[in-house]
Amino acid sequence: MVYQPPAGARDLLPLDVAQKRWIEDRLQQVFHQWGYHRIITSTLERLDTLMAGGAIQRSAVLQLQGLDEEDLGLRPELTASIARTVVTRIVDATYPLRLYYNANIFRRAQETSHTRQQEFYQAGVELLGSGGLLADAETLLLLMDCLQSLGLSQWSIVLGEAGLTRSLLSVFPSTIQSTVRQSIATLDRITLETLPMTESLRDRALLLLDLRGTPAEVLQKVSSLDLNPTQQAALDNLKSLIDLLQNTPDTGPQTPDSLVLDLSLIQTLDYYTGIVFEVVSDTANGRQVLGQGGRYDQLLGLYHPQGETAPGVGFALQIEQLHQAIALTNQSPQHIPTSDWLVVPASPQAATAAIAHAQKLRATSDQLRVELDLGGRTPAEIHDYAQHRQIAAIAWISPDGNVKVESVKLE
Amino acid sequence: MITVALPKGALLDDSIRLFQAVGLDFSAFLDKSNRQLQISDPTETAKALLVRAQDVPVYVEYGQAQLGVVGYDVLREKTPQVAQLVDLGFGGCRMSVAVKESSPYRSSLKLPLYGRVASKYVQCAREYFDALDLPVEIVPLYGSVELGPITGMAEAIVDLVSTGRTLKENGLVEIDVLYHSTARLIAHPLSYRLNADGIQTVIEQVRSLVLARV
Repeated sequence: MVYQPPAGARDLLPLDVAQKRWIEDRLQQVFHQWGYHRIITSTLERLDTLMAGGAIQRSAVLQLQGLDEEDLGLRPELTASIARTVVTRIVDATYPLRLYYNANIFRRAQETSHTRQQEFYQAGVELLGSGGLLADAETLLLLMDCLQSLGLSQWSIVLGEAGLTRSLLSVFPSTIQSTVRQSIATLDRITLETLPMTESLRDRALLLLDLRGTPAEVLQKVSSLDLNPTQQAALDNLKSLIDLLQNTPDTGPQTPDSLVLDLSLIQTLDYYTGIVFEVVSDTANGRQVLGQGGRYDQLLGLYHPQGETAPGVGFALQIEQLHQAIALTNQSPQHIPTSDWLVVPASPQAATAAIAHAQKLRATSDQLRVELDLGGRTPAEIHDYAQHRQIAAIAWISPDGNVKVESVKLE
Repeated sequence: MITVALPKGALLDDSIRLFQAVGLDFSAFLDKSNRQLQISDPTETAKALLVRAQDVPVYVEYGQAQLGVVGYDVLREKTPQVAQLVDLGFGGCRMSVAVKESSPYRSSLKLPLYGRVASKYVQCAREYFDALDLPVEIVPLYGSVELGPITGMAEAIVDLVSTGRTLKENGLVEIDVLYHSTARLIAHPLSYRLNADGIQTVIEQVRSLVLARV
């Protein structure tokens, strides 16, 4: 019989891994430069941990049965796990905590989605314990630094403010509020045009739906609304944030189009309380979301035994999407690394000497790749093999330890 | 360059006229000798893809087309993640339940438990009967659904009705309407958010044109 992988499973072969590592190494270096530390949490979580934030539906989680009938799930994202770990395991946390992760996540394929893929990879950060403007700015600038380190230049960040948008939605009667929210989240203008409501509410709904564009334009439009002090404060904060980003010369937005302010950017269900954002690549293959994130100031409290909360902000980058965007730039490795040396025992008696020579070569540099010929091949076959694998040097070892070096003319 | 996905079939003429009115001429698709599936308008400002109606939201969801025209019936059935922007007003029809004229069932609720209902719109039919809490077996068909009741395979059908002529000529009658459908202008959500290639201008032109017609 043929053993097939489950539908939606993917295997990564050595070249895929080399390219994935290329991305991850660069991201990791940026995370380190900004003072972030890696955290590894459990792949398996209790289902209630995963769903506590309210943004994850049971149907999206791949579930497993634990001991004692405990409902478990494979994590569909990392923020819930990190929030749980931080408030329950790091008792005397000195804030701010700067954490990053690089991990696999699992999502159950939905009936309506075109992909059957269930396992994905994400790298991201969580900056915990600081609610201020600078924490928001750091997160966005760090994100932009990540994109630059990967050599990506065609991208835009779509920035919203979930707290402000939610607050602007509170004028709608509770009977239609969730429909209005969902219609704005999914950009369904037709529903907003036909839903029964007063003309002034409809104007407000349609205004919210199209509250996007250059930051200056949008800020102008919002400030013309009748804002309460909380909304005004959120708007002022947003204004200061955009100033900070636009005045950071090397890392900040590269072109006027790379920062779009979009107050319709909300999810149908989420735990975001402040800024929210998506980073979108614009390549020959089309536009796609490379990553997303936002501020969640109430989430940690959900996991704390006494309900004490701490502010948090973070983002996750989708490694597969980065992979596709980078493939077009031809920067990541196009081949798996070749070995530098093939060490060949000239006869079975030369094995000890050959192993010793290979070790000696490996000791000269930790960059050197040295492989041992495992016997059973004629010298002609060994030459063919070296040629095929693009190994430039062969060391022929005789039983007395004599080394004959031959350089292979690679075709 | 903007790419527009246009549906083959009943909505094509109106869709092409609509874009012509906002300055994008894809009328080459109406030429009977045309075999091309992708064309540019003569001013080279936009491209159009000619695809099956069900495939319009697929191209738009993946972003290979930033805009598309498709019936609400398809959106309802496939629930794609696309921005629904303008009700274009043409292509009006209704999703209905129909039975044989001689059938004793005169409303959906009266259909027998575990009866068979044939439809191309499986998702939509299932949702409808689930909401009525009436367990029926949905038989998926790809065309000529009317044959279901005629041959006795199904008690009823759920299908799109525009003039009602096909039903009548096949001896069927409508007993309930699920919803009314018209053609809609849809957009790729990310392209819409980023106003990619200035699609907002085209959308606004289409919107004011449709409003002016009402």
